[in-house]
Amino acid sequence: MTKLDDLLAYEVVEGLTEGQFTAEEYVISILKRIEEVEPKVHSFITLDTEGALSSAKIIDKKIREKEDIGQLAGVTVGIKDNISTQGIRTTCASKILENYVPTYDATVIRNLKENGAILLGKLNLDEFGMGSTTEYSRYRPTHNPWNLDYVPGGSSGGSGAAVAAGECTVALGSDTGGSIRCPSSFCSVVGLKPTYGRVSRSGLISYANSLEQIGPICRSVKDLVMMLNIISGKDAMDNTSMPSSPITVPNKLNKLNVAVIKELITGSDQEVAKSVFSASEKFQEIGFSCEEVSIKNLHYALPSYYTLASAEASSNLARYDNIRYGFDYPIGEYKWDTYFSNVRENFGEEVKRRILIGSYVLSSGYYGKYYLKARRLRSLLRLELLTLFKKYDLLIGPTMPILPFKFGEKIDDPIKMYLVDVNTVIANLAGIPAISLPIGFSNGLPIGLQIMAAPFEEQKLIDASYELEKVIHIQRRPNSI
Amino acid sequence: MISKEDLEHLALISRINLTENELEKFPKQLDKTIEYIDILEELASDDSINLDLQELRFEELRIDEISLSDDKQLNKNITDDGFLRGPKMK
Repeated sequence: MTKLDDLLAYEVVEGLTEGQFTAEEYVISILKRIEEVEPKVHSFITLDTEGALSSAKIIDKKIREKEDIGQLAGVTVGIKDNISTQGIRTTCASKILENYVPTYDATVIRNLKENGAILLGKLNLDEFGMGSTTEYSRYRPTHNPWNLDYVPGGSSGGSGAAVAAGECTVALGSDTGGSIRCPSSFCSVVGLKPTYGRVSRSGLISYANSLEQIGPICRSVKDLVMMLNIISGKDAMDNTSMPSSPITVPNKLNKLNVAVIKELITGSDQEVAKSVFSASEKFQEIGFSCEEVSIKNLHYALPSYYTLASAEASSNLARYDNIRYGFDYPIGEYKWDTYFSNVRENFGEEVKRRILIGSYVLSSGYYGKYYLKARRLRSLLRLELLTLFKKYDLLIGPTMPILPFKFGEKIDDPIKMYLVDVNTVIANLAGIPAISLPIGFSNGLPIGLQIMAAPFEEQKLIDASYELEKVIHIQRRPNSI
Repeated sequence: MISKEDLEHLALISRINLTENELEKFPKQLDKTIEYIDILEELASDDSINLDLQELRFEELRIDEISLSDDKQLNKNITDDGFLRGPKMK
């Protein structure tokens, strides 16, 4: 039998319902696994051992008393530390929020709890979600479970690494420009950025709110669907959220038209491109049609993304004044303007750089030159993609243009770091859903395939991912830990 | 080119103090970023493009009703006369 801590989410629910083990036994096995691997991986910022054990006992009691236990009963979930959890510190991996304990749960957290999920704790990220490696976390970087000398990707690096290392059954991340898909690709797990509006953002601490969505990171497509169905839906607390139909898996398979995005292949490492071609061949074997397409406006996507994300960040992060919430900082001779500036010196370097760029592109004289043009490009790109989706069901390419890299390789050059997001920002700009699915390894380092679909067409993404997952047998647990 | 004075101005309007080290290295780094996004200049200024991705749906706003929050910690601080008591400034 598979070890308890290696079970997938749907196997946990099955095992519990059939009485193969108790929720408490399962949670203890996960806590043991954390004890074993956490000193090497560093996925967690806050671990809520007591909370997890007491939730498990409540589920066991409900099972004994034959009460409804919910669709995610016993499934342990790690939460990216920028999603608000009532009573559990939510730091955004920032000094600025090191003592912040939210008084309410994000809508997604409420959804998970109502369905019997067990919250394990809060996972590491780049400060406020700004970064692609977790090296910008104010705590410490998370290590890639497949090779501890390498970065796990970011910004939801703690989520990607924890799921890959078996420190939780599933995790939640958030994706502003690739922050779910990048660590999913680098850590060989499945991660989805849903259509903008499918999942409520209420309780997600904003970085660039017109771009970001909360989404699941899991070890299988089936687990991902379970999570997605629970967190999706219209929420009165987020006016951009919309109702959506639940996803089914396995589903009656329709033959889909797939297009490989040429520009994403030519910009990639050879090994990565090779894996994507082999995945597209697999799609053809399944009976899908596969063609190549070109996206005219792709060239402008990344500069447009960094303009918009920085502009929104400079506005969203203006609220951190250390008055309403914050960390211990002497009030001294309180003068409002100097106090704010002194306190805000405690943002990390990358956060400061983005706030400054945001202030720059929104300044009079530059607003039309940068911000408005970026907004226009965003609309053009969306129109171009929607036209392509009339002909093709799915657009595919590598999630990341490169393999995971070593710590320190890009940290001193912001542009080098930004360039790794070149394939993922497209989906955030256009508001469309995109998934990263593990498709292979090169020298022991994971490679992910990105699949994109038209808005609210997650069912097609899942159908294709499920079929591909069945024919590509990927090793799930890393050997190195 | 971003000069040290430009950077100080941006820091002032962003309400952020910069360390000596940041004042030293940021101008070059920000220059590179701005140079990178300068490519957006190539795009034509076309006012006919709709900039909104999502249609705003004001008719779907929540009903504007006063109700007590279910936030226990917050409710603890509500005084008898209906005001909310905040923490004292030290």
